[in-house]
Amino acid sequence: MRDIIRLGLILLLITAVAAAVLAWTNDVTMEPIADQVLQANITARQSVLSDASEFEEMSTDTFAGYANVLEVYKGLKDGQVVGYTIKTNPSGYAGPIEVMIGISVDGVIQGVSVGNHSETPGLGAKASDDQFKNQYNDKKAEGQIDVIKAGTPKDNEIISISGATITSRAVTAGVNAAIQLYNEALK
Amino acid sequence: MSASGLFIIFVSALLVNNFVLSRFLGICPFLGVSKQVETAAGMGMAVTFVMTLASIITYLVQIFILDTMGLGYLQTIAFILVIAALVQFVEMVIQKTSPTLYQALGVYLPLITTNCAVLGVALLNIQSEFNLIETIVNAIGASLGFSLAIILFAGIRERLEIADVPAVFKGFPIALITASLMSIAFLGFTGLV
Amino acid sequence: MKIGNTFLRGILYDNPIFIQLLGMCPTLAVTTSAVNGVGMGLATTAVLLGSNVVIAMIKKFIPAKIRIPAYVVVIATFVTVIGLLMKAFVPALDKALGLFIPLIVVNCIILARAEAFASKNSVLLSAVDGIGMGLGFTISLTILGSVREILGAGSIFGKAIFGASYQPALIMILPPGAFLALGCLLALYNWTVSKKANQF
Repeated sequence: MRDIIRLGLILLLITAVAAAVLAWTNDVTMEPIADQVLQANITARQSVLSDASEFEEMSTDTFAGYANVLEVYKGLKDGQVVGYTIKTNPSGYAGPIEVMIGISVDGVIQGVSVGNHSETPGLGAKASDDQFKNQYNDKKAEGQIDVIKAGTPKDNEIISISGATITSRAVTAGVNAAIQLYNEALK
Repeated sequence: MSASGLFIIFVSALLVNNFVLSRFLGICPFLGVSKQVETAAGMGMAVTFVMTLASIITYLVQIFILDTMGLGYLQTIAFILVIAALVQFVEMVIQKTSPTLYQALGVYLPLITTNCAVLGVALLNIQSEFNLIETIVNAIGASLGFSLAIILFAGIRERLEIADVPAVFKGFPIALITASLMSIAFLGFTGLV
Repeated sequence: MKIGNTFLRGILYDNPIFIQLLGMCPTLAVTTSAVNGVGMGLATTAVLLGSNVVIAMIKKFIPAKIRIPAYVVVIATFVTVIGLLMKAFVPALDKALGLFIPLIVVNCIILARAEAFASKNSVLLSAVDGIGMGLGFTISLTILGSVREILGAGSIFGKAIFGASYQPALIMILPPGAFLALGCLLALYNWTVSKKANQF
């Protein structure tokens, strides 16, 4: 019996030290981690709406009831609204994909950026390559964008990544959600 | 969550994202304990049992202890201790209550502690924000997927023993290439959900 | 001399992947590119070094009966620390390796070295063993990652090497390619070894 108590106490001591070390590390890294997330978001907003120099978060009431929309920012330049950035998270092949869309006030898609995702490397992961996501640039933010597998895309169409149709459709669904929100609530 | 949603989680864990062949979890027992169909089936059963229980318990630990107390950073350490304790506990209970089952599974139980599939499924359940029922369905799907892969693999390896394989490919190299072919077959399930 | 030997053992004679076949899960899962291989290898090396040193230091205080849970706690602590540091300072790598960072805990190499080496040797030797084994793991992962990246994406460390006309063999960075590449590398290793043996 005494042996068990002794063993238990030793284990308790080890776990207590471990917990203390972890609590300390967590404390030290908390701020840099939050910073990283913040920084990544700023960079993404900047890249999809390069005209704007400042961004202002809009209240969640703006997009209440819109599924998959996470946050909306107003892009400003010299105090004037030049466009909006909309962050969505449609479901891809292996889980949600973070898609940020920038739409200017005159209703043109300025850029799309693909953030966190867990798509297959070499296939779905190509969604973050310029070759795919730049297809959305300069498209009119009206109606819906469709995905085609091959051929010459029309004005409202993009070509899917070969072997990753589900991912391509998902990113497009995110873009379409942003277009809908823009037309119904922001325009 | 509707029944169809649960079914999708199940099929996805069982086939499309098969733990061994597409997520690479539980490779050590997959390569190590797959020389005979019988032992492979034993390992599969033991894993199914532990994985389902471990998923439920780690889920409860996460929701009621780690989340409520804001101790998210202790997740890894808490989960691995829960699994290790659970494996020991299951071993003792089986030994006392059912000697036949113990004879069948006993040897595999200690090995399961370091089976990354068990910790992997526990972490994935939390990451995918499943509720308790989805967690259980996902765990059962994943563990049956593991059993399916390891039993099929053992069946092929039994034949390989008597096949004429180039000397340098004997043993692990040919086993890995077999696994590769199985993995290609499982790629065929892509798009099922 | 002994230190040099301990160091080389991990890299060559007892290479964790090619000889001991330990730690297969991260080996196969994260080696879709050379960079991922290096990252995973170094993260594992850091954990291995830390856990080996601490276990060698506290081995006298740990009764044999509870040594495995005690080792697991030490290892899990280091894994979490490394994981948090990576999240804070190299977020891109953290995202690429994902789930496999917490799973370093169940990488058999680490527990195997704790049990087989650190619990019997001095702190200094254990540190050397940890670095040696870790580098052996890193080198193997980098080789595997490079092979898969060259064949599967036509690039190395993210730089294209074959020009635009090269049609990459996509299968190499999909799951089947992992098994295939490792199987062939192991066969190649066996072949080299058997050729050497024949010479003498």
